[in-house]
Amino acid sequence: MKFNFSNTKIKHKKQYSLCSMLLGFLLAFSLPSAYATEVISHPDNSEQLKELGNLRAIFGMRTLYWPNGEKIRLIVLPDDHPLHKQFVKEKLHIFPHQLRRTWNRLIYTGTGQAPITVNSMAEMQELINQTKNSIGYIDNGGQYE
Amino acid sequence: MNNFSRVILSTLCYLFFFISCSIFAEETEFNTQNTADTNKEFNWSDYKKPWMDDFQVHGFLSQGLFSSSGNNVYGKSKDSVSAGSTELGLNLSYQALNNLSFAVQGLYRRAGEITGSEGEVSLDFAFIDYTFFRHNKGRLGVRGGRVKNPWGLYNETRDVASTHPTIFLPLAYFERSRSLFLSMDGAQFYTDYNTSVGDFSFKFNLGVTNPSDKELLLAVTRNPFSTGSLASDLSFLANLNYDINNGEYIFAISYANLGLKYNNAMPTDPNQNLDIKIDSLMLSAQYNGEKFSLTGEYSLQWNQFNNLYDPAEQKITDSHPVSEHWYIQTGYRVLDNLQFTLRYDSSTQDISDRDGTAFAIRYNHALPNYLGFTKDIVFGARWDITPAWMVRAEYHRVHGTSTLSALDNPDIFNLVEDWNIYALQVAYQF
Repeated sequence: MKFNFSNTKIKHKKQYSLCSMLLGFLLAFSLPSAYATEVISHPDNSEQLKELGNLRAIFGMRTLYWPNGEKIRLIVLPDDHPLHKQFVKEKLHIFPHQLRRTWNRLIYTGTGQAPITVNSMAEMQELINQTKNSIGYIDNGGQYE
Repeated sequence: MNNFSRVILSTLCYLFFFISCSIFAEETEFNTQNTADTNKEFNWSDYKKPWMDDFQVHGFLSQGLFSSSGNNVYGKSKDSVSAGSTELGLNLSYQALNNLSFAVQGLYRRAGEITGSEGEVSLDFAFIDYTFFRHNKGRLGVRGGRVKNPWGLYNETRDVASTHPTIFLPLAYFERSRSLFLSMDGAQFYTDYNTSVGDFSFKFNLGVTNPSDKELLLAVTRNPFSTGSLASDLSFLANLNYDINNGEYIFAISYANLGLKYNNAMPTDPNQNLDIKIDSLMLSAQYNGEKFSLTGEYSLQWNQFNNLYDPAEQKITDSHPVSEHWYIQTGYRVLDNLQFTLRYDSSTQDISDRDGTAFAIRYNHALPNYLGFTKDIVFGARWDITPAWMVRAEYHRVHGTSTLSALDNPDIFNLVEDWNIYALQVAYQF
């Protein structure tokens, strides 16, 4: 985006304050949703998590192994859980029914395994901490505590 | 009984494999961990846990209710209600090593007269999966045993209700040809390639199918007194799938080359030298948006029936009809768990005789021309009550009778050309 600032100082100041106000509004409105969901992993895998790259390939079961060769243990919430829906839309930029289609195909043709499903965020956090090589997601905004 | 004992025997064999391999895997797990952590105290739960994580059990169950006018579907549904469709599946999968896994699925199925009211048990798939080569952009491997056929968008999971939008699959997957396309005993070579513009996956199945199905034999010979059974020659089926944005757009091409022979026929059977070759091509495209979805599939099938006894002409002939199936289907999600589907579906037995007139003339109009085609308009609603439970209902307005089960409709002279189906289904999956 390009801004056309005029030459006079007063106008300059006015525009600055307008810009910062807009920016403030944007931040205020976008923060809770943009930063609400976050990918987490077992503490031992936190360094590798940064190298993993494409999240959609992990949740779509195309990337199955950590860079060190260990199998990724995927942990998710049920398809109809609001946090799951939000995570899939915000972080993977797809929809829960697309993931379900992929998982069902793997499960019911025997060509792959399903992610482990937990019922709450508390369970998610507990299982992630207990399970080596696991990946899941949590809510940072505290909406689904 | 023979078939059943074979199923049991193979299930046992695979169970044996499961157990021996899991023991092997546990041993290797134990050894590697042991050398790494020699200073640590022994803790059994450390070793038990990884084994359990690599072992999964899943299943599905569905029950349908049908009512129809004019003709029967799944039992005696005409002017009545039939509960003739039940499917129950249970599978086990075990990831023994990073590049070696095992999977087996058993299926119990009732589908009208063909299975009888007591139903049938079958081994749906059972294979060993070995990945030769793997990196973050793809993999290459082989599965050996009984593998599902990746035919079109829905065949691989055709018995799992929740994986397709309507109770009745599109006509291209009609029940009569089920045993032709269901699965293959042999090998599946597979490769995946993931790129920034989408993911490619290719599967190639080589082996024999299990076409010993009365319905298929009756459809080919039109002779209820056939003495033999159909058996498969070496066949293959290939599928190339291109998938953008995790299934937002899917494009696929499937090709099958299937061979059948007629076995164990009495010397008096006019079809004793029958030989069948089927070449089939299917093009598939699908869009899956947040609310809206659009699906279309088109298939052409070149059939070669050699040394087939033609009851109309009362002589042995070769016939080469080309059949065509296509449909277009739209879906709309009013809510995340409530979806409506509308489909127009068409099936033609012989594209050189689309309205079946030539067929009816050959039989001196004893058989109706509308055995040559089926057109179906479907309107359905599906409610996913929870991720596990689903109910759906649909209405079909059907024109033609080519895809009807001859076992459910034994009175072939009194079929009705325009008819309705009302269907309801409840399904569970885990």
